[in-house]
Amino acid sequence: MTDVQDKVVTTDKMSVAATLFRFQSVFGLIAVFVAAIIFSPRKNGAILFVSADNLANVVRAVSEIGIIAVGMTFVILIGGIDLSVGAVLGLAAVGSAVLMVENDWGFLPSVVLVLAIGLVFGALQGVATAMIGIQSFIVTLAGLQIARGLARIWSGGQGVAIAYGDGPKEAPTSFALLGERTFGGLVPIPVIIFAVVAIAAVVFLRVSAFSRHLYAVGGNEKAARLSGVPVVRVKIAVFAICGLLASLAGIVHAVQLNQGSPNDGIGYELDAIAAVVIGGTSLAGGRGSVAGTVAGALLLGVLNNILALNNIDSNIQLLIKGLVIVAAAALQRLRPTS
Amino acid sequence: MADLVRMAAIGKRYGGVQACHEVDFVLGAGEVHALLGENGAGKSTLMKILSGDITEYAGSIAINGTPVRFSGPTDAQAAGIAMIHQELDLVPGLSVADNIFLGRELRTTVRTVDRRRMEREARELLDRSGVGLDPRRPVGELRVGEQQLVTIAKAISLDARVLIMDEPTSALTSSEVERLFDVIRELRNSGVGIVYISHRMEEIAKVADRATVLRNGKIVTSFDPRKLSTAEVVEAMVGRPVQTMFTTPDSDTGDELLRVENLKLKARRPRPGRRDPDGISLTVRSGEIVGLAGLLGAGRTELLETLYGVAPGGIRTGRILLQGRPIRPRGPRQVLAQGIGFVPEDRRASGLVLFHSILANTVVSSLPSYGRLGVIARRMERTASVRMADRLRLKFGRLQDEVGTLSGGNQQKVVFGRMLLTEPKLLLLDEPTRGVDVGAKAEIYRLLGELAAQGLGVLLASSELPELVGVCDRVVVLRDGRDVASFSTADSGEGDLLAAAMGHGEMFDEVGGV
Ligand SMILES: Nc1ncnc2c1ncn2[C@@H]1O[C@H](COP(=O)(O)OP(=O)(O)OP(=O)(O)O)[C@@H](O)[C@H]1O
Ligand SMILES: [Mg+2]
Repeated sequence: MTDVQDKVVTTDKMSVAATLFRFQSVFGLIAVFVAAIIFSPRKNGAILFVSADNLANVVRAVSEIGIIAVGMTFVILIGGIDLSVGAVLGLAAVGSAVLMVENDWGFLPSVVLVLAIGLVFGALQGVATAMIGIQSFIVTLAGLQIARGLARIWSGGQGVAIAYGDGPKEAPTSFALLGERTFGGLVPIPVIIFAVVAIAAVVFLRVSAFSRHLYAVGGNEKAARLSGVPVVRVKIAVFAICGLLASLAGIVHAVQLNQGSPNDGIGYELDAIAAVVIGGTSLAGGRGSVAGTVAGALLLGVLNNILALNNIDSNIQLLIKGLVIVAAAALQRLRPTS
Repeated sequence: MADLVRMAAIGKRYGGVQACHEVDFVLGAGEVHALLGENGAGKSTLMKILSGDITEYAGSIAINGTPVRFSGPTDAQAAGIAMIHQELDLVPGLSVADNIFLGRELRTTVRTVDRRRMEREARELLDRSGVGLDPRRPVGELRVGEQQLVTIAKAISLDARVLIMDEPTSALTSSEVERLFDVIRELRNSGVGIVYISHRMEEIAKVADRATVLRNGKIVTSFDPRKLSTAEVVEAMVGRPVQTMFTTPDSDTGDELLRVENLKLKARRPRPGRRDPDGISLTVRSGEIVGLAGLLGAGRTELLETLYGVAPGGIRTGRILLQGRPIRPRGPRQVLAQGIGFVPEDRRASGLVLFHSILANTVVSSLPSYGRLGVIARRMERTASVRMADRLRLKFGRLQDEVGTLSGGNQQKVVFGRMLLTEPKLLLLDEPTRGVDVGAKAEIYRLLGELAAQGLGVLLASSELPELVGVCDRVVVLRDGRDVASFSTADSGEGDLLAAAMGHGEMFDEVGGV
C-alpha cells in the first residue's frame, strides 16, 4: 500500500519540478512583471507601467526582436546559430525603403521581393552549413558581413527616409498602415504580426512531422540521419525560415522608423539569442520551445521598459540584462534530467 | 579476513522505479563475482553506487571492513575501485593513449605531457589484452568492440583492488573474450576482486567463481556457477522457465531478396582501422536469416554501412541487387524507401536521441505514415508506438519518458522497433542484441523468426557465436573485408565459424554453446 502511495507522491513531485522548469521563462516573465509593477513610477496614484499605452509600447518594442527570435529558436533547436539576422533585418529595411520610395514599387511587390530575399539568403546559408559542412557560426558570421555590405550598396550608404503619399518618391500609404494601431487604437499592428508568427510557429512545431525531424537533428544528428531523417533538407529549411522572419522584422522595422538604413538592426542577433536562451532552449540543440522564446523576449522587453521608466542609466541597464541572461542559463543547469 | 567489499541493505529509487531494494552484496579478494539479471534488474545501478557514480542511496558500504561513503568516482578510485561502464565513457576526439591516461597524464621532467611514454605504455596495456590497436588513433573512429578494449585497458591501468566490469564483452568476439579472460584470471590471482556483469551465459561458467542474480532490484539467489546449468540460471533471472532460447530456423525460404556481387569500396580517404568491403559476395533470400561472422575488424559493420549508403565516400565496384534490380545505396532515406532497414551497433551514439521521449524515438523513421500533409495524427503515432512496445515487451514507465532512462537492453529494443515500424523487406542488423538480457534476446530471436516467416530477409552481424549458430539459417564469415566461408547452420557449429574467422584450420571445441 505504502509503496503505491509513495509512487504517486514522487511522480507528482517530479512533474511539478518538471513543469516549473518547462515553463521557467513564463514564471520568470511573471516575476519580472510583478517586480515592474512594484518598482513602477506612479503618476497621480496610477501605476505608469500597467497603463494601456505603456504596455502597448512594451509589446511594440518587443515585436521586431520577437519575430527574429522565433526564427532563431528554429535554428538553435537544430544545434545551429544565425548571426546574420540583424544584418538581414537591415537589408530588408533598406530594400523596403528603396523599392517603394526610389523605385516607386507598389506595396505588395516590394514586400514579396524583400521577403523572398530574406528567404533565399537564409536558404543559401543553410546550403553552406548543410551541404558543405561549414559550421553555422562561421557561415552566418560571413552572412552578416555580406548582408550589411549589400544593404550599404543598395542604399548608397545612406538611410533612406520613407514619406507616404501617391506622388513619385513616396511610399504607398497602405504601407504606413502596418505601423498603425488597431482594436480602438490599442494594439499596434507589428504586435499582431509578431503574435501571428509566434502562434503559427508554436502550432507548426506541435503538429508537423517536420518539427519531429527538426528536434531529432538537433538532438543527435547522426542518429537522425541513420533513421532516415532528411537532415540536409531540414537544415536548409530552418535557415530559410530564419532568414524569412528576419526580413519580415526588417519590414516592420522600416515602417516603425519610417526609414531604411543599412545600420538598422545592429546587435539584434544578440538580443534574439538572449530571448531564446532565457526561454529555456538549449544551445546544444534538440530541446526548447517557441513559447519559451516569446516569454523570454517579453521578459527582456518588460525589463528594458521598467529600467527606462525609472531613468536607470543605460550602462546599468546593460549590466542588469547581462545578469538576467546568466541567471536564466544557470537555472537551466538545475533542470532535472528525467 | 574481512571481505574486500561489503554492501549492505542498498536501496536506490528513480521516481517510481525501485532500481535497488535492500541489496546485500559481498565481494572477496581474488574473487570473480558475476552479477546477473534481466535488463533493468539494477545491476548497473548497484555497481554505480559502489563506484561512486551514484552518491545518493540508502544502505552502507564497507571496504576491507572500513565503512565508506564516496563523494564521487574520483573518491572511489582513490579507494582502489575502478569501473568499466556499460555505456562507454571515452572522449571521442582524443587518441586511445590520451583516453587511457585521461586525468593522470604522464609527465616529463619539465612537466609537459610525455606523449611518447603514454603511447608506449598504452601499447603495452593493449597488448596485454591482445589487441594491436594503434594508441594514436582517435577513439571516435573505433568500433564499439575496440572501444571496449580501450576501456578495459584503461581500467586495468588503474591498478585497482576492485574492478567492476559492466558488460565489457558485449561487442567482442570469442577470441578477444578469451584473451580478456586470461587477463581476468591473472588479476584474480594477484588478489583483485572483480565484479563481472554479462548477458552471455556461456561466459559466466567459464570465468566466475560466484554468481548473484538480481531481479527487479532484489537479490534472488547466489550460487556457484559451475554447479548450475544455464537453464537453471536463466530461470532464476527471469523468474520462470524459459523454454527455448532459439527457435529452430525454418528452411522455408523464398525468392532471392538481396544479392551482393564482388562488392568493393575504395574509400577516397582511407581511414586506418576501417575495413571496407574488398570483394564480398553473398545472397539473402526472403524469409532467410543470414549471419555475418568475423573477428573485430573483419569488416562486418563496414559491409552493412555500405549497403545502407552511409559508408564514407569512395569508388564502389561490384553489384548490389534488391529483388533482382540493381540499387545504388546513396543514403538512409533512399535505402529505407526501398525497404531496407538498419540497426546500428552503437545505439547511444548512432541510434537514439537520449533526452527525447520513447515515443519520439520510436516513430521517427516512420512519421509520414501517421497523418497527412505533414501533420501528425498523435493518436496514430501513439497507437503504433504502444503496439511496438508491446510486441517487443519493452519495459518502461510512460511513453513520454526520456529514452535515456531505459535500461540498456530496452534502449536497444526502441531502435529495433523503430526500424520494424518502417515495414522493411530486408533488415540489416549490427549486433542487435548487444547488452540485451537472455529473456529479451529470446524474444528478439522469436520476433526475427516470426518476421522471417512472413518473408522478411535479415542480414545479421554478430560477435556472439551461439547467436549466429542458433538464429541464422546460414552464416557468412568475413575476414579482412572478404567473404571467406559460408556455412549452413544445420550442419556446422561454432568451432567451424571460429576457425574460418581466424583463418586457421584448427578447431576450438572448448567454445561452449548455450
Ligand atoms: N538515471 C535514471 N533515471 C531514471 N531511471 C533510471 C535511471 N537509471 C536507471 N534507471 C532505472 O533503474 C532500473 C535499473 O536500471 P539499471 O541500469 O541498473 O539496470 P541493469 O540491470 O544494469 O540493466 P541492463 O542489463 O539493461 O544494463 C531500470 O528500470 C532503469 O530504467
Ligand atoms: Mg546495466
